[in-house]
Amino acid sequence: MISQEGSRSAISSDRTYATRRLGVRRLAGSTLSYLVLVNVSIATLIPFVSMVMLSVSPPGALDLPNLIPSSFTLEHFHNILANASLVRWTTNSLIYSVTSVVLALLLASLAGYAFAKKRFWGRDVMFWSFIAMIMIPAQVTIVPLFILIAEAGGIDTYWGLILPTLANAQAVFLMRQFIMGISDELIDAAKLDGASEFRVYWQIILPLTIPVLATLGIFIFLFHWNDFFWPLLVAQSDETRTLTVGLSTMQARAPSTGFIMAGAAFSFIPNLVIFIALQRYIAQGIALTGFR
Amino acid sequence: MRSSQVSQLPNQEQSMQAQRRSLSALWRQSREARAAYLFVLPVFVLFVVFRFGPAIASLVLSFADYEIGGNITFIGLDNYRQLVDDSVFWQSVRVTVVYTAMVMPLTTITALSLALLLTRSLRGVGLFRALFFLPYITSTVMAAIIWLWIYSPTDSGLLNAVVGIADIGPIGWLQDQATVLPALAIMSTWKGFGYSMMIFVAGLLAIPEMYHEAAQIDGATWWQRFTQITLPLLKPIIFFVLVIETIASFQVFDAVYVMTSGGPARGSFTLVYMLYTQGFQYFNFGYASAIGIFLFVAILIIAMIQRRLVGRSES
Repeated sequence: MISQEGSRSAISSDRTYATRRLGVRRLAGSTLSYLVLVNVSIATLIPFVSMVMLSVSPPGALDLPNLIPSSFTLEHFHNILANASLVRWTTNSLIYSVTSVVLALLLASLAGYAFAKKRFWGRDVMFWSFIAMIMIPAQVTIVPLFILIAEAGGIDTYWGLILPTLANAQAVFLMRQFIMGISDELIDAAKLDGASEFRVYWQIILPLTIPVLATLGIFIFLFHWNDFFWPLLVAQSDETRTLTVGLSTMQARAPSTGFIMAGAAFSFIPNLVIFIALQRYIAQGIALTGFR
Repeated sequence: MRSSQVSQLPNQEQSMQAQRRSLSALWRQSREARAAYLFVLPVFVLFVVFRFGPAIASLVLSFADYEIGGNITFIGLDNYRQLVDDSVFWQSVRVTVVYTAMVMPLTTITALSLALLLTRSLRGVGLFRALFFLPYITSTVMAAIIWLWIYSPTDSGLLNAVVGIADIGPIGWLQDQATVLPALAIMSTWKGFGYSMMIFVAGLLAIPEMYHEAAQIDGATWWQRFTQITLPLLKPIIFFVLVIETIASFQVFDAVYVMTSGGPARGSFTLVYMLYTQGFQYFNFGYASAIGIFLFVAILIIAMIQRRLVGRSES
């Protein structure tokens, strides 16, 4: 038998060597990691920096490829804000987005509550056939949807723009999943106190779902604010045209670079505000649900 | 029905009580069911009108000719026959497949590598995560406007200014058949990798620390741990990301519309862009619907193949 003493010291010297080597490797590893992360960050930011620099510099005043302007101007933003069409498009985008968020959340939470907490004939079939519709890409049904809205006189109207987007399977699914976690006792207690069905929804369920409503609301807002294909088809005149579609028509008319960049930057303000203020909800939303 | 059964019980008194009780339960149940139907009704109507209806109509229209105003003529498989013989259609299939074959691996590998870095215990990881996610929440139109400038064919564009240093170019990145799809793919990767990265981060954080610790004690190298612990456990997430990214690239439209209009010489003429031109420029609704059905079936098949492939390498 080898002496225990000897083998132990061998192990411990082995260990210190290993930890030292591990420490060096870890340091090298994290330095390398930072190097990669910083480079990817720069690559990620370059388009944003380009946009901002171009939008605040006079034509030809931007030194390339350094992206440093030799002079500064707010003229492009002034022109953007003085552009009546653009103001109209922005208003339309806000109407499209905010109305959709409010209505979609209201309808999805109502349905989600029923699917989660109530028994009724055909519940599961109905629910899963809603969910199955997630499988069908929007483009597949866009032709009949357009025909439907066109025949119903919905072209160039807000309702034609908004109504079809309210059938949101993901929202219903998320609301149901979340509400299923709310305890039945709370609901039963409220009912024993004589609360009506709607009142249970309005005063018990809705306040408890605020976190998921916030997450869902952010995604629905961003989806509509950034949406392009459907508004391109339905909102054809300046009266109802949204900002994304408006900017694309502006882009097609070969504008000055500074002007269109100021427009793009302007369109990004809500996204940026949401991103900075509600970043936590966005990250949670994706991690928990894969909501896209 | 239940109350009549109850009333056949011998004890009249008891049966009356039971009847009353079951009636009130029934009443409560039906009241609840009625409320439930009322709550579901708006969403149900919206789904029938704007999802189920159009999904079925899309299939029906693909077998027909349709004009605005309601003139519908059924022509059997003619739209599909025309599709098979249409060289423009095959061009759009080719463009879509090539584009997807570029975006999907580029996005998935970028997203997974960064997620691996961002789940290490490094300082400032949260900041990087947020930063990489920023392009994802931009509108494609905004991204397209910026990248149009980056790719502009003269020295006034960023990319040509960069390659100009090495005396290359200027190159018409979006005007050249050879570079238009890679150019679009790089833009899409920039815009989209943050989403898949977040999914991967969540998936990686869900892998219990002790697996890695145990393997480390057994002397497994980083690569061994990655291929034998991380990858197998991440398989469902990888499948999800692959499917999501494939579906998204198959549906690319906004960027093509704003940046290239399908050009040059149909070099970026994707399936959905073709659907758009057929449906909303030429108003061939039946033909456009057939393209839509093709798109749906193609996506379905690809998702199934990916499931099979990812599933098989698991065993």
